[in-house]
Amino acid sequence: MTEQLLGLLSNYGLPALFLILTIASAGIPLPVTLLLIACGSFVAQGEIGFWQVLVVSMVGAITGDQLGYFLGRWGGRRVVLRVTQRFGGALMIERAEAYARRWGGVGVFLSRWLLTPLGPWVNLTSGIAGYSWPRFLFWDVLGEALWVVLYVGLGKLFSDRVSALADLLGNLTWVIVGVLAAAILGWKLLRYFRGGDDAPEQAEKAEEATKAYTPATEG
Amino acid sequence: MRSSVVHTLKGFNRRQWLVLAAFLLVLGFTTFHAYRLVSRAVYWHYHQDEQIQGWMSVRYVAHSYRVPPHILYQALGLPYRPPDRRPLQEIARAQNRSLDEVRAILMDAIVHARPPYPPPPPPPPDKGGPP
Repeated sequence: MTEQLLGLLSNYGLPALFLILTIASAGIPLPVTLLLIACGSFVAQGEIGFWQVLVVSMVGAITGDQLGYFLGRWGGRRVVLRVTQRFGGALMIERAEAYARRWGGVGVFLSRWLLTPLGPWVNLTSGIAGYSWPRFLFWDVLGEALWVVLYVGLGKLFSDRVSALADLLGNLTWVIVGVLAAAILGWKLLRYFRGGDDAPEQAEKAEEATKAYTPATEG
Repeated sequence: MRSSVVHTLKGFNRRQWLVLAAFLLVLGFTTFHAYRLVSRAVYWHYHQDEQIQGWMSVRYVAHSYRVPPHILYQALGLPYRPPDRRPLQEIARAQNRSLDEVRAILMDAIVHARPPYPPPPPPPPDKGGPP
């Protein structure tokens, strides 16, 4: 896959880079980490311009993110409503939406450059949750700019070690995602062992808090 | 302490068992990637040269192995100018060679461009200087 993508990049240049990043950010898994690092290396070798790569990569990634967001907003919500009407679970969806609205900005920002495997999911859930689009766009642009500058910059800096760098960064990203997930689940387990996390009164309280919070945060 | 843990576990409902299973799975997944991260970091610390891969271009291999690009183009029978930017996989396919063959040709040229062999000559003037 990487060979084909880099082949496209060598044959068609920046339009190919734009297209690949748009598709990947919309949710199709493609090895874009290696692609961006390789672009950084090509910049160091004088084959393409630094600013051109930055602008095209950013615009491509942001376009793909918007596709994911609006897919969730226009298509996803209807599907979720149908499923919850038929099979239940509306309360869980409401809570998830409230959390997405509450942590949306930070979630969008971090999933652009630090927790990159979560990016397409965050786009979809932000759309489904009806997270404010201007805010989504703001955090998206900020996060994607950091991601592109970081990866292309690292590729430029370590231009003769592209494979090694992509390998290390790929594993590091999964370790960070894993540690965060383990911390959340571990905290939940700890509450089970201390007793009372699933007590009905607490669930009701959480639900009330969520409902009270929702109208104040809608953008 | 141990008996209270067992007691709590016995009282777990289905959802709590799922959370426990997910936690163990995530722990395993994270440990696996942490191990890979450390082992690769150690590997790259001791290995200066990357393995030649199909996605790399001739120029990238020359850059990574710190040898003049024209000797690699010459070894593969490709013109030095304009520089061929195709990935090695595509070059191999066009030349009816396997990637292993291309890799062996490049490695041979790289070995002969490094000490103890004398430094390679500059690119022939009729084929131009570095682009």
